[in-house]
Amino acid sequence: MGYARAALRRGLRMRLHFLELLWFSTYAELRAERSRSYLGLLWWLVEPALMMAAFWLVFDRILGNGGPGYLPFLLIGLVVWQWFKSSVVHAGQAIWMNLALIHQVRMPVLIFPLVNLLADAIKFGVVFALLLVVLWLAGYPPNPAYLSLLPLLFCIGLCAVGGGLLLAALMPLLPDLRFVVEQLLTVLMFLSGVVFALQRVPAAFVQWLAWNPVLVLLDALRGVLLQGQWPDAAALLRVAVMAAALALAGVAAVLRLAPRYPKLAA
Amino acid sequence: MSDLVLRLDGVGVAFDVRRRLRGDKHWALQDVSLELRRGQRLGVVGRNGSGKSTLLRVLAGILRPDRGRIERAEASCQLLSLSLGFVPHLSGRDNAILCGLRLGLRRREIDTRLAAIHDYAELGDFFDQPVASYSNGMVLRLGFSVALQVQPDVLLVDELLAVGDAEFQRKSAQAIHERIHAGTTVVLVSHDEERIADLCDSVLWMEHGRSVMTGACAAVLAAYRAAVGARQV
Repeated sequence: MGYARAALRRGLRMRLHFLELLWFSTYAELRAERSRSYLGLLWWLVEPALMMAAFWLVFDRILGNGGPGYLPFLLIGLVVWQWFKSSVVHAGQAIWMNLALIHQVRMPVLIFPLVNLLADAIKFGVVFALLLVVLWLAGYPPNPAYLSLLPLLFCIGLCAVGGGLLLAALMPLLPDLRFVVEQLLTVLMFLSGVVFALQRVPAAFVQWLAWNPVLVLLDALRGVLLQGQWPDAAALLRVAVMAAALALAGVAAVLRLAPRYPKLAA
Repeated sequence: MSDLVLRLDGVGVAFDVRRRLRGDKHWALQDVSLELRRGQRLGVVGRNGSGKSTLLRVLAGILRPDRGRIERAEASCQLLSLSLGFVPHLSGRDNAILCGLRLGLRRREIDTRLAAIHDYAELGDFFDQPVASYSNGMVLRLGFSVALQVQPDVLLVDELLAVGDAEFQRKSAQAIHERIHAGTTVVLVSHDEERIADLCDSVLWMEHGRSVMTGACAAVLAAYRAAVGARQV
């Protein structure tokens, strides 16, 4: 009985310690990011704004493919995509970047990508709140369908966790991945409907693109924010299952490969 | 395991020769067996490349053996590290908290020891300045001060390090000696045989990733010197 209680107390201490380490490391990451550049945290807003300006110029002004309401449509897509991309890239490099530390101290390696994922989620939270204000000012006020925002964003977050952790698990063993990740993500951005609507895709491709959970979730998110439209529950459930499976696969990959990282050259 | 803290039986550790999902292995530890008892002060000697540092990382739980068996009692094992990834843009105080957490301390334990870390590191007002503005000596002093606050059941030391200026070197060496003589279980890797004989009560001699001999300091060190001397003739 005493042994069981001691084991329980030890397990609780480990979990609390993990949470403290995760939280303080995230704070350190955000503080360091603020100090690394002249504009600091303003880059969270400037980066999507610059991307929006570039895409709006090309797709709306030059090619004339935008149409009415293209700017808020694009802004939502880019803000969400920026979160997804940053999470995958930052988390993906996290274990590889911390190999020297992994050689020196016994730590749960999962902490490294999770710190980046949490830091990016906090940044996104701030930017998304501002996005809601901008949309309201642009004539898209809050509506009852906003209640579905949380599960939608949670599913997008799960996709980012899955992609980030899978990449984080593999990158120390296949460091060349870092050269192709940006290119793959650019392709994925165009396959995720960031700059165009799902309705504009030819019918023959829609059934294939519907397997991309980011595209489905982004489409549903725009429906909520711009038209006050509730997401299709069945489609959301299917995508949630896919996102959860991706996240679990990511966690499993990191845990499975964790014993190999201290044996790799830093 | 009674007073046994750790037992290694035929332990081997292989490193990947190249970064691949699958590839050739280099066995840094081939076959190491040892028993470590509570309060024991074990010195480890051996030539460069014999696997001494790898052994410490196995004992610390950083490396998982690829063969053999390792049994652990309920005891924390900590490798003495001086700089666990300091973040240059963070203050010395924040880095001390981060390092303490990485070394396994809870936040409230670190908070109660921050004043001691501040005093011991002799950083003055620099403690609240970014570490990027520190000299190398100041960084090492901060690292040592944090490491000193962690009090594991088994302390693992890879060479006794001289940290900072002459005065701080004397102070840090004394702190480690006090820790070693305070009844802590210690594993000390060193090329300095005199220091091992002075600080340890037993010695493990390693060659090519294998444990060759374990026992009382005088006997093992004599055998080790004879073997090294014979090779040099």
